[in-house]
Amino acid sequence: MAITEASGGIISSLKLSRRNTLIKWAPLLVLVVLIAFFSLIEPRFFSVRNFARIFTAASPSLMVAVGVTFIIIMGSIDLSMEGTISVCAVSFAFCFMALGGTLASWAWLSLPFALVIGAIMGALNGLIHVKLKIPSFMASLAMGFVGTGLAMVMTGGDRIRIEDEFFRGLLTERILNFPLMVYVAVLFLLVAWVIQSYTILGRNFYAVGGGEELAIASGVDVDRVRIMGFMLAGIFFSVGALLAVGRIGIAETATGNNFMFLSITAVVVGGTALWGGIGGVWNTLVGVLVVFVIGNGMVVIGLPGYTQDGVLGLLVIIAVILSTDRKSISFVK
Amino acid sequence: MYQLTKVNKKFPGVHALKNVDFFIGRGEIVGLVGENGAGKSTLMKIIYGAHQPDTGTIEIDGKTIRFQNSRQAMDYGIGMLFQEQSLITNLTVMENIFLGFELQFSNFGVINWKSMAKAAQYQLKKVNLNIDPSTVTSRLSFAQRQLVELAKVLTLEERIDGDLVILLDEPTSVLAQEEVQLLFELVRQLTNRVSFIFVSHRLDEVLELSDRIYVMKDGEVVDTVKGDKADIDDIQRKMVGRDIDKEYYREYRQKSYDQSKKLVSFNAVSVAEQFYDISFDLRAGEVVSFVGTEGSGREAILRTVFGLNNPTGGQFLVKDSPYSTGTVREAVQRGIGYVPRERKVEGIVNGMNVYENMTLSQLSSYSNKGILRVGEEKRLAENWVEKLSIKTPSVEKDCGGLSGGNQQKVVLAKWRSGGSDVILLDHPTRGLDIGAKEDVYEMVRDMCEDGAGIILVADTLEEAIGLSHTIYVLKDGRFQKCFDGSTGDKPSLYDLVHYMI
Amino acid sequence: MATATMTVQSLKPYFPWITLVILVSVVGLLNPAFLKPNSLIVLIADIVPLFIMALGMTFAIYIGGIDLSVQQIANFVTVIATVFLLQFGIFVAVLCIITGFVIGAISGWITTKQYVPSFVATLAMGFIALSLARFLSGERALSMNAEARDATFGWIFERTVGVPNELIIAATLLLLVWFLQNHTTFGRALKAVGAGELAAVASGLNVDRIKILAFALSGTMAAVAGLMFSAKLSGGDANLANGFLILAIVAVLVGGTPLTGGVGGMMNTLAGTLIVVVIRSAMIYLEINAIMQQMVFGVILIVAIALTIDRSKIRIVK
Repeated sequence: MAITEASGGIISSLKLSRRNTLIKWAPLLVLVVLIAFFSLIEPRFFSVRNFARIFTAASPSLMVAVGVTFIIIMGSIDLSMEGTISVCAVSFAFCFMALGGTLASWAWLSLPFALVIGAIMGALNGLIHVKLKIPSFMASLAMGFVGTGLAMVMTGGDRIRIEDEFFRGLLTERILNFPLMVYVAVLFLLVAWVIQSYTILGRNFYAVGGGEELAIASGVDVDRVRIMGFMLAGIFFSVGALLAVGRIGIAETATGNNFMFLSITAVVVGGTALWGGIGGVWNTLVGVLVVFVIGNGMVVIGLPGYTQDGVLGLLVIIAVILSTDRKSISFVK
Repeated sequence: MYQLTKVNKKFPGVHALKNVDFFIGRGEIVGLVGENGAGKSTLMKIIYGAHQPDTGTIEIDGKTIRFQNSRQAMDYGIGMLFQEQSLITNLTVMENIFLGFELQFSNFGVINWKSMAKAAQYQLKKVNLNIDPSTVTSRLSFAQRQLVELAKVLTLEERIDGDLVILLDEPTSVLAQEEVQLLFELVRQLTNRVSFIFVSHRLDEVLELSDRIYVMKDGEVVDTVKGDKADIDDIQRKMVGRDIDKEYYREYRQKSYDQSKKLVSFNAVSVAEQFYDISFDLRAGEVVSFVGTEGSGREAILRTVFGLNNPTGGQFLVKDSPYSTGTVREAVQRGIGYVPRERKVEGIVNGMNVYENMTLSQLSSYSNKGILRVGEEKRLAENWVEKLSIKTPSVEKDCGGLSGGNQQKVVLAKWRSGGSDVILLDHPTRGLDIGAKEDVYEMVRDMCEDGAGIILVADTLEEAIGLSHTIYVLKDGRFQKCFDGSTGDKPSLYDLVHYMI
Repeated sequence: MATATMTVQSLKPYFPWITLVILVSVVGLLNPAFLKPNSLIVLIADIVPLFIMALGMTFAIYIGGIDLSVQQIANFVTVIATVFLLQFGIFVAVLCIITGFVIGAISGWITTKQYVPSFVATLAMGFIALSLARFLSGERALSMNAEARDATFGWIFERTVGVPNELIIAATLLLLVWFLQNHTTFGRALKAVGAGELAAVASGLNVDRIKILAFALSGTMAAVAGLMFSAKLSGGDANLANGFLILAIVAVLVGGTPLTGGVGGMMNTLAGTLIVVVIRSAMIYLEINAIMQQMVFGVILIVAIALTIDRSKIRIVK
């Protein structure tokens, strides 16, 4: 028995690693196939101009998705992004206008200010989840509602226009055909990658997602890791908010709209498992690109925009099903 | 150097450790043996700080200490090699080794992978494991993982000045023979710095490795023997040695069963990776029990009868016909009732009252076109509450609030009232006090008289012997021996243990 | 001490009702006009669609899941009702209800058979419904044909012996689901699944079917809510019911059906919905800006979950 069990174990762990390899590369494959598909149907799709468009549109979502990636790696979820983004965008805009309305003045301080707001919102979210022991999907959903409500109260429903040319440079300044904000997003993606791969906190996310009780037994302060995770996610949501404002030039309550489903879909489609422990920011990059290539591609080949939501709905379901190891769970609710 | 004196530990309803004295010297390898429930695991938990003793003292080098948690125990050089795989499989080997202690390799939270890899390499060398420390753990074999776990525990050598105590809890259960030898060699090499406590079901291994062996029974240390003077038979006798009380198990009520009426029959049934070539018959009025160590396949047999596992080979009949769908639902409809070990999770629904629990498996008998006849349900429940003398203020009381014994009666009433005539008992007396246990034994006899058949996985060997007509001993998923358990001709504990391990 | 906790424990089921009474008295003291029967009736009639949606949500939460698709189902249904009213007349209601049932059943199937957590499955199904709604509406706000609307649904907004028919419909539905919950095998099975799913499986219940049906009923009720809303506003659009989701969840949880399921039920949701109504009208009376509503309800939601959730049921809070 000892021997058979050991060899059985090896076989199953080999299966597991083969499965992991598949999960690792499948999203990229899907992305390549999608690009090839759309390019064949409509050659205009495969142009620098169009890719610049895709990347520009994807940048804010990429930041949001990267933020929530950390949370999903832990096996939790954060649904508060729409509220957090709106609050960050609006706070930024108020601060920016109050301090002079141009990056060439002290108003640049409103950039770090917005990140701090994001961190506070995230930390609050994490505290409610951890200290009140409320499942994260519900704690963060409720916090999202609070955030959207707060942004509404702050603006009274008004829009704030940001017309400063330096700030709008995020969109208007282009290097090699791609606007500045794409580079900002890439920079933060690299930061996220460093956090994920080279910091204790980042590695602890994986430990919590891979085996929370074992992590506790090894002396990891899991509560702290969770709260820090939500805080970090809040900061990335805030970066996403800034890019979103930079792209449109308007900060309002609706700035956060649609980010929730889009980013969750992107993360899951990228191959980060909802059960935690597997995946990472590169997966999320691929996932975001898949989502935006589909969105853009469907418009380019002439399908109406509303099909995107439905397709994303299907995608997220399929992705979760594929990433689920049915043998390891008894039931879900 | 490490000493426990007069340690007591009580849990609700159980006196788990009774005045236990335990001592381990520098560089010693101490074996710890006992049946399931003898108190081994409680003792280990106290040693590595997961439990705190109610009374008694823990001393290290003469200083009295008290651990709040296992992390504190670690700071005193006490490490634990867990029986279950305690590595996080999505992390790399080195991350697992230093989980919770990454700070030493980091600047401002950024980890220096090179220095961690180097340190991990050093640890892996201690256990003669030649793998890249940046391998993801899920790619390792179980044997390799076991060694990585040992390497992880051995980081205590660098972290702590002074002596170490490392507990090995069934470390060989997933290892092949050669791997066991490698592990033992390693353990012996390490005794210049480390003392080991070795816990295993495999007595031969304990004897081979240990300098001294503690034998536990019923929460007490019944003997300490020197490794070189130990004798397997002798130890086995001490582990189990006690007389069976015939009264206790209601042996006088054990009647012969109906040979002609087969309720369940297994003909060379196998379930891959669980058990192989198992054949037995269960007849009306018979108690069949399966004994063996944890993982010997006894629970898997119950699960198969209940439709939770589907056979991968052989023929399995319930009342002369096989399952068509092989689901729990079908098993229940065919008259099989399951009294699970996890009473509070699978037995009763905590939050539903007595009558709701009793009719849960037979709702269709108490409804017309889906509309419940609550009055009848209550009458049924009142009936059975009286029949089994279930102590509850009313049938509308939440089952979660009843005592363990009464919960167990509700579960039994659920199956019996619905006419189930094959009852699967999985540790039916676990966690019950003596009076409640006797009630369960009475019910077992009652059910047999009513013509039901019972498959039992007992909490103790005595229970199995005392209750059963037929006893099958299993080891590693295969039959070892079948004993006849007729009154007056019952096998001794020792007979069974001999075939179990 | 022991007796004190005993009484607190035994009072627990009544907390939502006690809260409601206290709230009503406070608001009534501040603003006696609030207690006028007529204004109360109008106030309550106004919230009927939400109440029905919350009743549906109760099924999903009662078994320990959640349904985040209800708002989108309602949206979709407003569009269906508006688009197909002329064609089908009263039978458009059947179409709407089937739609809700099917979407809910699919969510349930994805959750139970494919092991996708219900919050993801329903969120995704919601977006699919939204997509369909936008397709069907051509992304415009549509109005019903006024004549057909009055002929088919006009009666809903009339009164029978002084009581708005809307309220009668709500009461009938409440009675129906209450009966379903308390007097049928399905209701008993729902409770078992919510309170102890593993024990329900071990008792031979067809747990998967029960769970799928619970989600299907949630979808059905969301569709009824959408239909009534559509008839009320005489139109349909893919965003018409936005804002309902949070209120429906709040109503269920404030009513005392915890996120972990197994206790509470339909009557609790009645209490919860009424609490939501009172809070809303109190906010209006206290001149708390209407735009603060969402924030306030978000906070109430957090408090309600924290107070009701059964932490012994979740080993690790994720």
